[in-house]
Amino acid sequence: MTRYLMTRLFYFFLALLVLSVVTFALNWLFPGDPLTNMSGIREGQTAYEAALTSRSFDSTIIQQYLNYLEHIVRLDWGLSLSTGTGVWQDAATYLVVSAELLLLSFLVAVVVGMPLGMLAANYFRHNIDKFILTSAMTGYSIPVFWLAQLLILLFAVQIEWLPITGQINPLYAIDSVTGSVIIDILLSDSQYKLAALQDATLHLILPVLTLSSLPSMLLLRITRNQTIEVLQKPYVKAARARGLSQQRLLFRHALPNVLQDVLPQMTFIFGLMMANLVIVEHIFNWPGAGAWLLKAIIERDYPIIQMVLFTLMALILVLNLLVEVYRGWRFPMTREERYGGY
Amino acid sequence: MDLLDIRNLTIEMDGPHGRVRVLDKVSLQLKEGEVHSLVGESGSGKSLLAKAVIGVLNPLWDVTADRLWWNGKDLLAMTPKQRRAITGRDMAMIFQDPLAYLDPNSTVAEQITEAIPAGDVTGTFMHRRIDRKTRVAQLLHRVGIRDHDAIMQSYPYELSEGVAQKVSIAIAIAHRPKLLIADEPTTAMEPSTKDQIQRLLGKLAVSQNMSVLLITQDVASILPATQRVSLLYCGQMMEHGDTETILNRPAHPYTDAMIKMSLQAHAELDPKSKLPSLPGAVPTLRHMPIGCRLGPRCPYAQKQCVKAPLVRHREEQSYYCHFPLNEPES
Ligand SMILES: Nc1ncnc2c1ncn2[C@@H]1O[C@H](COP(=O)(O)OP(=O)(O)OP(=O)(O)O)[C@@H](O)[C@H]1O
Ligand code: SF4
Ligand SMILES: [Mg+2]
Repeated sequence: MTRYLMTRLFYFFLALLVLSVVTFALNWLFPGDPLTNMSGIREGQTAYEAALTSRSFDSTIIQQYLNYLEHIVRLDWGLSLSTGTGVWQDAATYLVVSAELLLLSFLVAVVVGMPLGMLAANYFRHNIDKFILTSAMTGYSIPVFWLAQLLILLFAVQIEWLPITGQINPLYAIDSVTGSVIIDILLSDSQYKLAALQDATLHLILPVLTLSSLPSMLLLRITRNQTIEVLQKPYVKAARARGLSQQRLLFRHALPNVLQDVLPQMTFIFGLMMANLVIVEHIFNWPGAGAWLLKAIIERDYPIIQMVLFTLMALILVLNLLVEVYRGWRFPMTREERYGGY
Repeated sequence: MDLLDIRNLTIEMDGPHGRVRVLDKVSLQLKEGEVHSLVGESGSGKSLLAKAVIGVLNPLWDVTADRLWWNGKDLLAMTPKQRRAITGRDMAMIFQDPLAYLDPNSTVAEQITEAIPAGDVTGTFMHRRIDRKTRVAQLLHRVGIRDHDAIMQSYPYELSEGVAQKVSIAIAIAHRPKLLIADEPTTAMEPSTKDQIQRLLGKLAVSQNMSVLLITQDVASILPATQRVSLLYCGQMMEHGDTETILNRPAHPYTDAMIKMSLQAHAELDPKSKLPSLPGAVPTLRHMPIGCRLGPRCPYAQKQCVKAPLVRHREEQSYYCHFPLNEPES
């Protein structure tokens, strides 16, 4: 396990490093002055001269990169080109807002997709399976932006059950402290906590539903196919002949073996969600990192673009690392496959 | 009454070259406490027969039989659930490739524990835990695994084929089945373990009044305790009877050839002597001879043999052949 862990960590840091090289290179690929793109300080400003030396722009490119790396480690992403405030200071709440949306959606995707996938597999070729699969295929082929409009039209405009956009009704006057509405409400001393919580939940439903639709359908399909395959394995047949109940077969024997192969796919699915995050946050006017990124792209606010891209990618890498470590620990066989032991 | 009563079991499957009949009207009876050896060359359908009894065949295959009775109850007429309840309680099978039949993501201890009947362990939660653990260790000891602590925590991929086979024997005997089907259980083992396992199976049969259906490829490796032998060739039953009679006075040309071959393999041979094996090779599924499937290789075959021989009896043996050998002088 130690060797496995070390290798995984090594690849994690290697990937981070490559990522930092890419974002570093972006500063040259973006139009304009690389130093401005990097630090958010424009030529002619008084700080520009100082930045030239502090960012090693008087030295070699290698030195500049190392300096850039050092800034990243200190979370110093420079200043926003449009507001002039520190990028990381602004970023914190945006990122938490998005994290809340992402995590909730991912949770919904897992809770909906995996059990339905196993259910369909359990009724392989029966009507239940066909019904689930057809619904999944339908949900899977609707583009996210269209689904969002559809849901808004149906639930918010037509039957007016749910609010159209935003995180919470501003009348509740909840101060944004962490960025996560739920946590903010719990932290606040508002006397309408419960009502506010209810309102925030209603606001969350549509974005979460939209964002989780594609990943849950993907997970459903992967889980279904994998479960069907595992259920035909000799060891499942033998366990069945031993008189074990179907539940036990499914949960004790099929599920772990299915999970072993579905887990790595989860990182990939999470990556897909990131792409849709931008769209969903924009449509639902959600004050998260995705919408912020979109705004930064429109305003050519390069320090912000770099920072958000890097963080979202790094998040995927972290998730990947966690998944790999858990998988290696829970399913020792996968370690064997890769490194022949340990 | 026979514990297991199979009459005219036929299995057909759709292969890439059309429909093939892999088991052709096979009958077999097994009494309580009997050690029965099923002998046949590779591909003769021994494993299929065993899997049909246990009920783990591919559901797309056609399985028909005049009778597939367990203790007088018709297994084919039951719902899958009823059938599983009975096979799970009364039968167990040791499969030919043990590693494929062990869950790759459960430890040995977990898989053996699962096979111990819930009624066997009683008392408080902690009691049951400890009790189960000692039982698992005992079972491992009985199949000849001494470093049980290490093996218990292992996953199947960490086991050698021989140890995996022993683990599956431990799983199989955990619920004290009435019938144990052992499909070539000692092929992957070194000679000393082979002996040990064979003795164990013989001992279990006696001490637990357990019937054993042992599947082997040649007559030489049948259990010493074997009371009855059946011979299968190309999905057809050739002959069965009690061990003594079969080995000394085989009625069927196939049995005769099998015995001679195994004597040959075990005796010091004159290098020039001709091998008394059957000429030709086992036919492929696509080109099964009609009638007696041994026909093309049988030195005694005549025109009549294109019609499948019906069962005939001779004191302690039954055979399927038009021209039996070793007929008593009349
Ligand atoms: N899953 C399968 N699909 C197609 N054909 C099969 C399948 N399993 C077995 N067969 C065919 O059925 C025949 C009998 O197979 P079986 O496994 O019962 O042989 P066996 O007597 O156990 O041989 P061995 O001693 O090699 O284990 C073989 O010719 C084989 O090709
Ligand atoms: S029936 Fe004919 S072919 Fe078959 S074993 Fe007897 S003699 Fe040989
Ligand atoms: Mg076999």
